[in-house]
Amino acid sequence: MIKLSALTKDYGTTLAVNNLNLNVAAGEIYGFIGPNGAGKTTTIRMMGGILAPTSGKIVIGGVDMATHPVQGKKMIGFVPDRPFLYEKLTGMEFLRFSGDLYNVENKIFQQKAKFLLQQFALWNWADELIEAYSHGMKQRLIIASALLHDPKILIIDEPMVGLDPEAVHMVKDILKDLSANHHTTIFVSTHTLSLAEDLCHRIGLIHKGTLLAEGNLDELKRIAKLGEAKLEEVFLTIIRENTFI
Amino acid sequence: MNSVISLLQPRVLSSLNSLKRGDKKNKWSRILMFGALGIVFWMGTFIIFYRVLSYFHSVQDFGDILAIKLLSMIIMTFFVLLLFSNIINCLSHLYLSQDLPLLHSLPVSSKDIFLSRWTISAFDSSWMIVAFSLPVFLSYGLIYKATAVYYIIFFINMLFLCLIASALSGILVLFGAKILPAGRIRTILILLGVIMVITLVLVLRLTRPEQLVNPDSFASVVVYLNSLQTPNSPILPTTWLSDAMIAALRNEPYTYFLNFALSVTFALMLVFLNSIASQKVYFTGFSKSQTTPRRLFSPLKYKGWDWENALNFLPRESKAFAIKEIRTFFRDSSQWSQLFLMGALIVIYLYNFSVLPLDKTPIKTIYLQNIFSFLNIGLVASVLSAISARFVFPAVSMEGEAFWIVLAAPVKIKNFLWIKFFLYYIPLMILAEILIVVSNLLLNVSSFMMMLSIITTFFLVPAVLGLATGIGAIHADFKSENPANTVTSFGGLLFMITSFALIAAVIILEAGPVYQIFMANLHGQTLSLSKIIWSFFSFGLAFSLCILAIFYPIQLGEKHLIVK
Repeated sequence: MIKLSALTKDYGTTLAVNNLNLNVAAGEIYGFIGPNGAGKTTTIRMMGGILAPTSGKIVIGGVDMATHPVQGKKMIGFVPDRPFLYEKLTGMEFLRFSGDLYNVENKIFQQKAKFLLQQFALWNWADELIEAYSHGMKQRLIIASALLHDPKILIIDEPMVGLDPEAVHMVKDILKDLSANHHTTIFVSTHTLSLAEDLCHRIGLIHKGTLLAEGNLDELKRIAKLGEAKLEEVFLTIIRENTFI
Repeated sequence: MNSVISLLQPRVLSSLNSLKRGDKKNKWSRILMFGALGIVFWMGTFIIFYRVLSYFHSVQDFGDILAIKLLSMIIMTFFVLLLFSNIINCLSHLYLSQDLPLLHSLPVSSKDIFLSRWTISAFDSSWMIVAFSLPVFLSYGLIYKATAVYYIIFFINMLFLCLIASALSGILVLFGAKILPAGRIRTILILLGVIMVITLVLVLRLTRPEQLVNPDSFASVVVYLNSLQTPNSPILPTTWLSDAMIAALRNEPYTYFLNFALSVTFALMLVFLNSIASQKVYFTGFSKSQTTPRRLFSPLKYKGWDWENALNFLPRESKAFAIKEIRTFFRDSSQWSQLFLMGALIVIYLYNFSVLPLDKTPIKTIYLQNIFSFLNIGLVASVLSAISARFVFPAVSMEGEAFWIVLAAPVKIKNFLWIKFFLYYIPLMILAEILIVVSNLLLNVSSFMMMLSIITTFFLVPAVLGLATGIGAIHADFKSENPANTVTSFGGLLFMITSFALIAAVIILEAGPVYQIFMANLHGQTLSLSKIIWSFFSFGLAFSLCILAIFYPIQLGEKHLIVK
């Protein structure tokens, strides 16, 4: 469902992503972990069509993002790491705006928007301007709007930043349900290793723009030559050694 | 004091870093452009004041009274300008900047944060007025052959004028923000300021000052001049400051020292009061500013009818953008003032045409009417450029940090830019055509000139909008706290220059053929073949220029946004 081939992003002074190759199957939850400045957000922004790669190819649901970005984006639900929104719109108006752009049918929109706003505990705030929302509420609204058009692929950068424990639990359940029952492919970047461990079928570990290791938790433990260990130890070992793939 | 200096460092270092780093070529072209504009404006101010004062100086008795009165009026104007700009800047710097939560989390006192922010605000509000007061007071010094003392007094006086205005604004803002949230105060102030300016301009214009040159009005001028000799109120700081300047011009040491001492002690007292008040009330006001005030107006709905339905003819994604754009525009209170200004501008524009004394000129009315009508095309296009610079040029930057939504959405950047273009195209086209048609009707022009004006405007409007949208996209600043201000940036100036160059080119290309056709019509002759070919070529070139200006900048803007 997601295929990255020799993906590279060079900012001139920094090589943020270096020759990244990656495949994510339909219905899979793929965790993308790495230290600060590893290239996670750059990769995600390139996948979401927000940033143009220096070289390499991104194929989303069989669509090349370089040649047909609009078709590709129709399949994606994108959640950035920082919840910048149109502050002068209300929550409901923002969802309507999003629904119009993704061509969500009017009949479906009404019930879907209500359902999502209730699910994310924003229904009572639906007619308030977004500028009055807290950071966590904005984050919940972005996730809700990303789910509005039933995307085949969900790309999320740091999904739990600013969320309270109850919302974290709820988002985790939603993501698991989407993957298991709706066959949605989820690509999630996070610093929260426990979340990756709990949620993801496979995990990719990126450091200094290069993918160092990839696989499920057991495979990663083998790569790191560790027996019974938590993802945190695996992460630290692989980062220290820096030469696994 | 150390904390205040430390708190000032980010601003100073940021300015230095942006000077040191970045694209050197771009930087020098900016410096050159701003420098050249500044020098032209500075020289222009100097020449105008020098000539006016020379004239005053040459008129016995009344001349000197007028010059002195003008000086106190200038100081009063500068003071009001400083006060207003300081209040707006203080509100932004003290209560609305994005970095304030970080500053308040630091182990420094509210007073230190206030003093550092107030210093920055005072500098930002004052430097331009000080810079442009120099040619005014320099011309006074030269005309009245002032000694070096006058120039020293001028510099110190200006410093204390700025200090008094900033300190007064600081106190007003401190107590104002304690009562109302800072965002609401800014809205009210901007609205009040704009209403005040509009009323002033309307009153000035509707009293028709041009009639003063009419000999019949001389009697009222004499009465006015008599009233000029009334002294200003001695308790106003502006009186001390202007009296000090006048005394320095006349070389009267006792008077200028007295007034100078009054200004200095008053300024220092105000700074001291600010320092005390900030300790007591700044944090309370800042805390209040963190809450979002309730909306001033509720959405427009009547018996189930929604204004959005009026946009149903648009394709869905365009409608979504249009609704978003209209909502954010009308909910942003800083935009309202601009609408009021635009309304006043139109009224004054049309009023000017209605009072043109065409019948009193020695030139044949028919020539004048049609010359005015032709030049009117350029004037309307220039007004349109100014409006576009304020509204259309920052339209892409207005997306701000939320621009990721557009990039992530299944919409081509090209479409996004064209949606922005058309959103402004329709109202501005209607506005421009109304201005052209009404002013031509007031001028009673020939049907040929009417058609020419309508058609030229029809092509110039999208051309100017294309330039504004395209250059606005190329120079988009998504991190700006106030995108509307990007009009004063390098990109904004580039747009204004390109736009005026385009308007001038179109007018020049049309002028020759229009004259020939007009004269031929007037004398009932037909045009020769060579003149027809020439006219065809000139109009064709003007048309091509407009088409190029519509499409090419938007194409460049699209490329730029995708690469970003």
